[in-house]
Amino acid sequence: MATEDIQTFPATSLTIGTGARTTALDDLETVVALYQPRVFRFLLASLRDRDAAETLTQETFLRAWSARASFREDCSIATWLIRIALNLARDHTRTGRFRFWKHLSTTAVDVSEVAASLPNHQASAEASLIAQERVRQIWQTVAGLSDRQRTIFLLRFLEEMDIPEIAAVTGMPLGTVKSHLYRALNVIRTRHSSAANNSTTGETL
Amino acid sequence: MTPHSMTHRLLSPPLAPQPDTAAGTQTGTTHLTEQAHLTEEQFGELFATNAAPATPATALANAHLLSCAQCAAEFASLRESLSLFRQASSAYAGNELRRQPPITLPDRPMFSPALEPAYLAAAAAILLAAFLPMQALRRAALQPAPSMVSGITDRSAQSDEALLEDINREISASVPTPMQALADPTADTDTPIQNSPQRKD
Repeated sequence: MATEDIQTFPATSLTIGTGARTTALDDLETVVALYQPRVFRFLLASLRDRDAAETLTQETFLRAWSARASFREDCSIATWLIRIALNLARDHTRTGRFRFWKHLSTTAVDVSEVAASLPNHQASAEASLIAQERVRQIWQTVAGLSDRQRTIFLLRFLEEMDIPEIAAVTGMPLGTVKSHLYRALNVIRTRHSSAANNSTTGETL
Repeated sequence: MTPHSMTHRLLSPPLAPQPDTAAGTQTGTTHLTEQAHLTEEQFGELFATNAAPATPATALANAHLLSCAQCAAEFASLRESLSLFRQASSAYAGNELRRQPPITLPDRPMFSPALEPAYLAAAAAILLAAFLPMQALRRAALQPAPSMVSGITDRSAQSDEALLEDINREISASVPTPMQALADPTADTDTPIQNSPQRKD
């Protein structure tokens, strides 16, 4: 799991009296401050719609708050929240209303904006443009993956989750997760190699 | 030629083993040194773990990367692209998040769930404290004053006696025999009895 985004959070439970239990989720403001960027990022990359991502992010925390008593702490809070977010995203995309509004939506994510958000660590302007083009290409290729492949790809390469953690979030067996991940990666790799070859050929010509 | 098939040709020799099953993967990794390039699964294995302890399969794949410049270049390029994808997505999401209003959450609970038994006990005590004086007041209201009770009993006894006397008087009055003519109730009246016009009709 990524350590740069997920800050350490006390996952211990404190038992007071007979059966009264407090969890880390009771401090909701802290939980939101810690995990909202991550939940929103995942939903934004999954749905590619700012409004939908914003709404479902809020819904994720409300659901987590309502169901905090059922959080058994057998996984991390981040895993639990992403699982809720994933279920909400699935329910959301299943409806025909989502597909209808997706066509008309003005809040759909523009891939150029995503590529332009890339922090400029490149040595030259040309290198920066190449980097943006690579981001654009992967973002577009991910959009063409199946729902499962895209979810697993994003959990692995955007959220940097391990295979067992992805299995816990999606509820799939480890082998199935690996299989979807390899297929998704192969699609990305194929397009990536193809684009690299094309650019090399273009340079040669 | 599709990009997919073209990439496969670039990455694997025509007769190189391309195992698809788990058993095949082991075979593939065993003969990795004989294989020209990494297979799809071996590539996937390399990307599937974060700096985790190397398995024999990933160790062999890593060893292959050291000896094969083409696979190493492709692996490094793809890893860099995935890293750029993550950086850009995170930066974009961060920018969008800053534009949004903060999440409106339900009000914080006034009471901690940990102290729930204490709250219940306090509520029960308050209810008892309110209920007991009410009951005492109600009982007091239901019980009449002793002087009033005696007055009421005296009066009711007198009226009962009067009633019994009336009953005795009526019972002891002479009962007319069946053949005896009844006294004319209209004997005292001067005006004759007129029948109603409806009867005439």
